[in-house]
Amino acid sequence: MSNKEIFLGNGAIALGLLEAGCQVITSYPGTPSSEILPEAIRLKKNLGLDPYVEWSTNEKVALDNAFAAAVAGKRAACIMKQVGLNVAADSLMSAAYIGTMGGLVIVSCDDPGPHSSQTEQDTRFMARLAKVPVLDPANPQEAREMAGLAMEISEKYSVPVILRPAIRVCHARQDITYDTVEPHRTLASFEKNPARWAATPKFRFKLHGELNQKLADMAEYFNTLSAYNHHDLEPGRAYPLGILAGGVPYAVVRDILAETGRTDIPVLKLGTPYPFPAGLAGEFMAACDKVLVVEETDTLIEYLLRDSSKVLGRLSGHIPSEGELVPEVVFSCINGALKERQMEPFPERASGNAVELIQTLELPIRKPTLCPGCPHRASFYTIRKKRPKAIFTSDIGCYTLGLNLGGVDTCLDMGAAITMASGFYHAFAQDEVKQPIVATIGDSTFFHSGPAGLLNSVYNDARFILVILDNSITAMTGMQPTPGLGIRADGSHGKSISLERIVKGCGIDFIEIVDPYDFTAMGSLMKKAAEYVEAPDGGIAVIISRHPCVIANRAEAIPEKRKVMVTDDCVACGYCMKRFECPALYNDLRVEKTRINRHICADCGLCVNVCPKKAIVPMDAAEI
Amino acid sequence: METVNIILCGLGGQGILFVTKVMARAAVDKGYSVIGAETHGMAQRGGSVVSHLRIGPAQSSLVRAGEAHILLALEENEGYRNLSFMAPGASMYVNTDSATFPRKEVASFLAQESIECKGAPAGKIALDLSAPLSSNLALLGFFSAFGKGPISHEELRQTIDTISPERFKEKNLKVFDTCHEWGLKRSVYHDTTHP
Repeated sequence: MSNKEIFLGNGAIALGLLEAGCQVITSYPGTPSSEILPEAIRLKKNLGLDPYVEWSTNEKVALDNAFAAAVAGKRAACIMKQVGLNVAADSLMSAAYIGTMGGLVIVSCDDPGPHSSQTEQDTRFMARLAKVPVLDPANPQEAREMAGLAMEISEKYSVPVILRPAIRVCHARQDITYDTVEPHRTLASFEKNPARWAATPKFRFKLHGELNQKLADMAEYFNTLSAYNHHDLEPGRAYPLGILAGGVPYAVVRDILAETGRTDIPVLKLGTPYPFPAGLAGEFMAACDKVLVVEETDTLIEYLLRDSSKVLGRLSGHIPSEGELVPEVVFSCINGALKERQMEPFPERASGNAVELIQTLELPIRKPTLCPGCPHRASFYTIRKKRPKAIFTSDIGCYTLGLNLGGVDTCLDMGAAITMASGFYHAFAQDEVKQPIVATIGDSTFFHSGPAGLLNSVYNDARFILVILDNSITAMTGMQPTPGLGIRADGSHGKSISLERIVKGCGIDFIEIVDPYDFTAMGSLMKKAAEYVEAPDGGIAVIISRHPCVIANRAEAIPEKRKVMVTDDCVACGYCMKRFECPALYNDLRVEKTRINRHICADCGLCVNVCPKKAIVPMDAAEI
Repeated sequence: METVNIILCGLGGQGILFVTKVMARAAVDKGYSVIGAETHGMAQRGGSVVSHLRIGPAQSSLVRAGEAHILLALEENEGYRNLSFMAPGASMYVNTDSATFPRKEVASFLAQESIECKGAPAGKIALDLSAPLSSNLALLGFFSAFGKGPISHEELRQTIDTISPERFKEKNLKVFDTCHEWGLKRSVYHDTTHP
């Protein structure tokens, strides 16, 4: 059986993990990593394999689980986005020292741009910090191969290995041919050895020494790993300029040199930048007067090349220090270096005026918005209406887009809606200022990082309203189930975890559940909650605003379609667009009225509650 | 074969990923290699979405600015926004019902760069067929009337037939065919580039 399929990069990674005999795969969703676990589940069914898979509640939980499996001798993988690795960092640093019995591959997906992340941080630096090897694939096919290589290295050297695909690997598509996969099974076993598995500082010193030896051995291995680390120097030839590249930029450099027909610029590819193959890099540097280092996202290779006298890169201003290295940027960086070295530059087209033209066209700014019919929109509208002077702390998810409605003032990291709310409370309370605060957090994010902050807030007597926006799904990252739903990663039934019970267990006495589609009920609840927060014997008020995601579950979210229309009473004041910000509402300049875009309207009917002139009405009523 | 670079753009929710998938699958079924890049996550919530597709030996997934041979825009302004991808002599196909398409300022740029530009009311045609979410396949049908790129109309149609879920198949093909025929008439009688 040989299949050719167009794989998403994340699917290719999943395939590589399964081909590597992965028996345990854990993950927490986050763009650009989210599709790896679902793809592994799809492929395991197609290929007749049986690894254990789980959506874990957060990345640290995921890594601890996968690590334990690897300690028990299994081949395990743990998948997350780059900022997720921050959450798992505590686990990673220690796991590097302790090492594994089986294999442990950590897939941490970077987001240069950033396209869908808080930072452009470079996972390769986390690998360096933890002292674990990192592999940097250039495209989906290589990511698939490197997943296998990572597992092999991990087992051979008993060390966790990081695979770092960037977004242009994860969300690339490429045709890939694959065959049947032989199942691999190591039986779980645990040999007690507290000096290693529960090492105290004295033993940690010893483990650190062992890790350093492993790194030295692996660096030697990487010097000769010619499938992924190679150059095209001609023996004895000296070059005015060479290019050292890894990851996605390597593929971009290769394409540019092929398209421009250049053969006078040698390229060193480093697919395994850490531990650094210094021997191979030294050989390349010796043959070149200058070397342009093209790496994503930060300066790992530049730092590891200890003699910087020949290096052109970010530190010397030859490569931009923020943003993605898209092909046109790489093109102009190489061209800049060619000119500086007084070599023949690439031919440049005169048609740079497209960019200027586009600027003069005044094209509409497209910002992401909550979907038509989204229950979060209703929640934010009411929250803001009832507590207009509040500080709105919020969190990571679709509902960060509540900032378009003026319902989100802060977004720091997973769980910070709650911790920043308590932080703001104490900062103002210290000055005897009664500052209203409303925190919003999604159900999945609450399960991920909510309870610790909530316990802390209760324990230290902070006062704020917490609205848990419960749509029973992890929507932003592609509709993964949450523990609240009780459906597991592979579709099987798990135990449903009750948000109410967790909140109650955190010591909260005010817990109310409301459907945000019911504006009146939510409004009066906000008022009641505010009174409770301000009462001397009050506390933190928690409102669970519960309504299904309109994308994941349209039928349940909008059981009865309510078509609306705008009457002549509309004065085009723009209130609905500003405060409710539904993309289906637009200002029709021809008639100077607000109109409904029928192509995208979800017929939720919510905007009827919003218009100050009562000019948005249910269609039936208007027809009567 | 040299790599053929295609840009597909529009707004989140317009089905750009699906139409990219149709083109990629048709190319692979014909024996070509493909690599491309998609937009996921935050940007899909109604923002600008761009999909890159490269048919041929390319190793990297993004089309370099100034190197696209074909551009399909599901929304007129998004088409303009991605003009900098276009190579001289390239072709673009845009979903628009504007009577003044393409905009004056753009038309002179297109002429200067010898870019062929064709507009079709793909969204309207899809809506008239009670398939408001199928403007993507309507535009693809329109594009297929002009014989550009390495994949033929028949090959695209076969791929839609193969990969459409059973309950959407008939409607998908109807939308594709209707807009293809609309394009055939225009490709003969009506050329917006050289009126």
